[in-house]
Amino acid sequence: MEPLTWTGSLGTILNPIFGIGVILFLVSVVTQSVLTFFEGPVTLQANPDGTLQSRGGLIGMLGTANKYLMLVIVGAVLAYIIIPFFMGYGQAGIVGEMAKRFLPVWVALVALFAISIHYKRRLGLYGKLFDSTVGMIGFGLVMFWVFTAFFFGVFDWIATHDYLSQVSGLKNKVPGVPVPEGTTGVLPHYLLGGDNLARDVFSRMVAGSTFVIAIAPLATVFAFMVGITLGLPAGYYAGRLDTILSFLANLILAFPVILLFYLLVTPEIVLTGIPSYMAAFLFFFPLIFFFVLLNSRYYTQPAKRTAIMIPVLGILGWLYLSVINQRGTVINFLPPWLDGFDITVLVVFVSVVFVNAPTVFRIVRGLTLDLRTRDYVAAAQTRGEGAWYIMLWEILPNARGPLIVDFCLRIGYTTILLGTLGFFGLGLPPESPDWGSTINEGRKLLLVFAHPALPPAIALMSLVLGLNLLADGLREESLRD
Amino acid sequence: MTQSHNPIHPAALMYAEEAKAGKLSRREFLTRTTALGVTASAAYGLLGMTAPAHAAGHAQQGGTMRMQMEVRALKDPRTYDWTQIAYFTAGWLEYLVEYNSDGSFEPMLLEGWEVNDDATQYTLNVRRGVMWNDGTEFTAEDVARNIEGWCDRTMEGNSMAGRFAVLIDESTDMAVEGGIEVVDSHTVRLNLPASDISLIAGMSDYPAAIVPAGFNPDTMLDNPVGTGPYMPESLEVGVKGVIVRNEGHDWWGYAAGKGAFLDRIEYIDYGQDPSAWVAAAAADEVDMTYETVGDFVDIFESIGWERSEVASGATIAIRPNQLAEVDGIRPYADKRVRQAIAMAVDNAVCLELGYSDLGEVARNQHVGPMHPAWADVPGLPYDPTKALELLTEAGMADFEMEITSIDDDWRKNTTDAVAAQLRDAGFNVKRTIIPGSTFWNDWTKYPFSSTNWNHRPLDTQILGLAYRSGEAWNESGFANAEFDALLAEANSIADADARREVMGKLQAIMSDEGVTIQPYWRSLYRHAKPGFVGWDMHIAYLPQIYKIGLAA
Amino acid sequence: MGLFILRRFGVMILTALCLTFIVFWLTNLAPNLEKLAKTQGNARMSDEAVQTWLGNRGYLQPLPIKYGQWLGVVPGYVIEGTDGEVRGRCIDPRRPDDETPRFCGILQGDWGFSTVAKEDVSEVLPTRLANTGKLMFWVMVVMVPGALIVGVLAGMREGSRTDRTLSTASIVSTATPEYVSGVVFIALFATSAFGMQWFKGSASSAVQDATFENFFLPVMTIALYGMGYIARMTRASMAEVMTAQYIRTARLKGVSFPKIVLKHALRNALIAPFTVIMLQIPWLLNGVVIVETLFTYQGFGWELVRAASNNDIEMLLGVSVISVFVVLLTQLISDIGYVFLNPRIRIS
Repeated sequence: MEPLTWTGSLGTILNPIFGIGVILFLVSVVTQSVLTFFEGPVTLQANPDGTLQSRGGLIGMLGTANKYLMLVIVGAVLAYIIIPFFMGYGQAGIVGEMAKRFLPVWVALVALFAISIHYKRRLGLYGKLFDSTVGMIGFGLVMFWVFTAFFFGVFDWIATHDYLSQVSGLKNKVPGVPVPEGTTGVLPHYLLGGDNLARDVFSRMVAGSTFVIAIAPLATVFAFMVGITLGLPAGYYAGRLDTILSFLANLILAFPVILLFYLLVTPEIVLTGIPSYMAAFLFFFPLIFFFVLLNSRYYTQPAKRTAIMIPVLGILGWLYLSVINQRGTVINFLPPWLDGFDITVLVVFVSVVFVNAPTVFRIVRGLTLDLRTRDYVAAAQTRGEGAWYIMLWEILPNARGPLIVDFCLRIGYTTILLGTLGFFGLGLPPESPDWGSTINEGRKLLLVFAHPALPPAIALMSLVLGLNLLADGLREESLRD
Repeated sequence: MTQSHNPIHPAALMYAEEAKAGKLSRREFLTRTTALGVTASAAYGLLGMTAPAHAAGHAQQGGTMRMQMEVRALKDPRTYDWTQIAYFTAGWLEYLVEYNSDGSFEPMLLEGWEVNDDATQYTLNVRRGVMWNDGTEFTAEDVARNIEGWCDRTMEGNSMAGRFAVLIDESTDMAVEGGIEVVDSHTVRLNLPASDISLIAGMSDYPAAIVPAGFNPDTMLDNPVGTGPYMPESLEVGVKGVIVRNEGHDWWGYAAGKGAFLDRIEYIDYGQDPSAWVAAAAADEVDMTYETVGDFVDIFESIGWERSEVASGATIAIRPNQLAEVDGIRPYADKRVRQAIAMAVDNAVCLELGYSDLGEVARNQHVGPMHPAWADVPGLPYDPTKALELLTEAGMADFEMEITSIDDDWRKNTTDAVAAQLRDAGFNVKRTIIPGSTFWNDWTKYPFSSTNWNHRPLDTQILGLAYRSGEAWNESGFANAEFDALLAEANSIADADARREVMGKLQAIMSDEGVTIQPYWRSLYRHAKPGFVGWDMHIAYLPQIYKIGLAA
Repeated sequence: MGLFILRRFGVMILTALCLTFIVFWLTNLAPNLEKLAKTQGNARMSDEAVQTWLGNRGYLQPLPIKYGQWLGVVPGYVIEGTDGEVRGRCIDPRRPDDETPRFCGILQGDWGFSTVAKEDVSEVLPTRLANTGKLMFWVMVVMVPGALIVGVLAGMREGSRTDRTLSTASIVSTATPEYVSGVVFIALFATSAFGMQWFKGSASSAVQDATFENFFLPVMTIALYGMGYIARMTRASMAEVMTAQYIRTARLKGVSFPKIVLKHALRNALIAPFTVIMLQIPWLLNGVVIVETLFTYQGFGWELVRAASNNDIEMLLGVSVISVFVVLLTQLISDIGYVFLNPRIRIS
């Protein structure tokens, strides 16, 4: 087998087009930015004869040029992705083969966008996202990784080799290296080369996405449950409760995050069982949250309340027990048939929730302090609604805008935190394909081999970037209300 | 030199015959004869060879050398657990004897020694003209006091007590009455209750630094009394340590032509991450490394540094612990499970992925061709299919094996390679990694983990330390009466050929019982910027810093 | 105002007490003490030896008493060990025995002894802090003006292409954590792989002698991550100011655009970023830990990692005390500064 080149025969035409396009685009954008600084703002003007006039001159020309250059670049990128599907194996190089591997993701993305854009007027805030280019790009990046994680995690698609198997002879080999005969795997090449232990960098990057996408949003959800359950009463009742809770939150926030991790995520602390107790404490909040949520809503109709509550709390309770019940730790009382699953990285999960919850608490408390003076709250109070009903069914829905935005940003932040843990080698198993650990592994040999460290670095960056852009888009759109 | 007048020990002549006949390797020959009091040059002479010339002639006087090395806190030399500590104190605390990479022992603060025929009496001739840097003379009293200190078993963490166990009275935990005898101002005689030929080797090890009277480890920096050519200038643990030439001190080695070329030696700590060392080297912040491992050997060469390599018996053992209980069972007590593990792992792959092919493939026997009495016994075949069958037969196919390792470069990678191969063979494997600061807490107790072992000169030494029933360092929980008996037998046979037969049986047991995976023998490396001499990597990491100099 | 500051100081001390107690408790858990004994005594010690080692050094006393000793409200222990040696918290070999004080905690100005550095914490920490101070100074020098310029340029014409470009760049910079950008920088600029070996990948020599070559990469790595956030805040603040009535008036009067920006908008637009920059300092601490580890620069963050991974109890406590005060002081300064800069707010 021949080694693959980056773009294969496709590159001979596309590479120059793409390269020149990017360079011209950058030059033109910079010149335009510099020039506009010295000019007054001129937007479209309506002339008396009914025509519209846009800016002319050099700046205007550059603007038009930018538009076309952008089209060329986007077209080239699309070509890189689409054309390989009509070419034989390997002819479109590494880029082409990667594009092919991601086929299910492309299909899912296109379908999702087509449906969403078609029905966007009926989809509330989510639909409005599709009015903002920034938001769409962000959403696209995020969903790219979500689908990748999903298809890998559930169907084992996309990855080309087992992300843990080591193939003799491929240690630190450059991207596009052919694997020896008889190696199991979908493709006869390591698309992005082999890492320090001769594992496929591409497959590890894909597998890492499943880890990140599974942990980061879930940990953020838990942090939000804790933060909301405590933040709402703190803001609503204020007074002593608020003082105590705020003090505790500030206490945790005054810890340097890394010190906290170093103190919590060590094998010694796991031995003492502290993470298990913390999990038992922190993960109880979702139960309280749902209990109060449903109870405050239906307490006037006891029959209906019980009918809804028993299955919901039953399932949640079982999930709760399964999560905190771990083989080999202090909390281990469930019989194995009842213990649904073990989270292998419980300590990491707990720490991330623990670090994030106080910030969420502060945001929710601040919003509640502001919203509780609103008229609709006063109206509900005069109606005689219970405090929890007001908090959960009146205040919380009205605070959703900033909370959703923060949620997106926080997933990104959590992803970075997970990476930080991996970077310091805390809590995660060494073979874990998560991006932080692989970056840390790769950086050790960075001076000679850059290829094992860069793919996870770029993946992590693109996901966090996507989440930030998505948050930005959501903020813009929710402000337009 | 008194030594040259001494009759050559009869055993040395016998060894010379063996060596000439090819039965004894040159290294082993040098180790044994020099330990019996034969000078290195005389030993080479017995073989009809001349001793290799020292590089000293090519070094220039003066200059500074900066070495990347972990800078550790000082303590009583007897409790040293890291050679890095000795690298700093070797500037002023010297040794009686020096062990070299070619296997020979050379006298330093001794002028020579004689060992009687059954190795129960050692006569140590203390070098004349050696001065402490506070102006007093170095005498036999100093030697006797240090040896007494080594024999003090009540001292917490005194590892010299193990090396001098033969001299220790079990009831008092101190040196036996009359064991250490000062004959005159420059002669010490050791009268051993039993024979032991390893004492000279013990004196050459890094915790055997000779300290002055009234030595106090707490003030050893403020009051650096010693015999060596340097004195400490500053020490910031974990950051930097500097030793400089002790200008007022007339070191005995100047007259003896020993060297001490450099005026200043700086040890700079870059932590345990080799990538930081490379960065430091690329940024020209250091001149040489303490040790280069694994992948970094090539990397240092790619930035134009020179390599020093020494093949050694240092290795790694990835072993299941037969006594460890996991979920109420002892999974590795079953021989079939252990055999399955050994057969599922290709040692050559471990060497490739774990140590970048920088060594020799081994056979899980922890005895190798570098040992004098190594027998050519085949290991278990590499057969993953058979391995899975064995495992299934033992009823452990679903058992999840947790393999633990320390968090570093080559040890982790090798263990990862083992884990991956087991997984490929169809085993259920989980990997755990533990930071270096906590790994040693339970190193003998992990159910399945990896440990690095250093080079030992003799074949029976490591088997006795790590595989004899009930030994403190027996991390595999291996207990086999037949093995113990054979080992005792081997220990009583001085002749390598005669011992080889017993060793063959021992090695066969090691393989057949699947005691451990000991996949390869490491070569040790050090790298330096061009322009230095005398900085060769030492086979046992001993601190011979006086040999280093700038090339003339 | 005085009362306000006094109250904040009270909270600060209470926070520091709680926090150090938590750190104290976590570092004094049995497995951590075992780790300490093994790293300090002998790596391959037996369990009994660990217990006597700890007992001889006062580690097995009840937790509140140990904490009290560290604080200096309980007399320091004096223990005659099983090996016959007398050890005491306040005993210092450099001081004659009869001058040994009864109390020697943080209240007496004794920060304790670092078991890893083998020096008093009060001797090690200031050096480390000074090193980090040097790093932070240069980070601020690069980051603050850079972020403000980017933010102002982006915010002065909201929605323009300049704004879009710069905003995207800021988002990219906030989305790139230090361990990613640091790694990429080293790969690009400190190795010969890409032919741009302009800087050094190790900042160890910068402790003594910081040069452009050895200090640029660590400074840029921290600065870039923080820059995006401040730039976005500045942009938002600037954009808000630019829509204010007085700016519109100035524009209608025919004042030139650069003059409007520089003379009228800028001052008001910089109030919000000021508070953000102050609040950013504790947040940068994270970046400092990563960067100092990545570039082996012996500062505060490096010391934190070293102390934490070796369970150096008193050093960790010192580190926590300092970080608490940094966090809370910057909050205080940002609150006070906000009051002074913003004429509309008065604290009675």
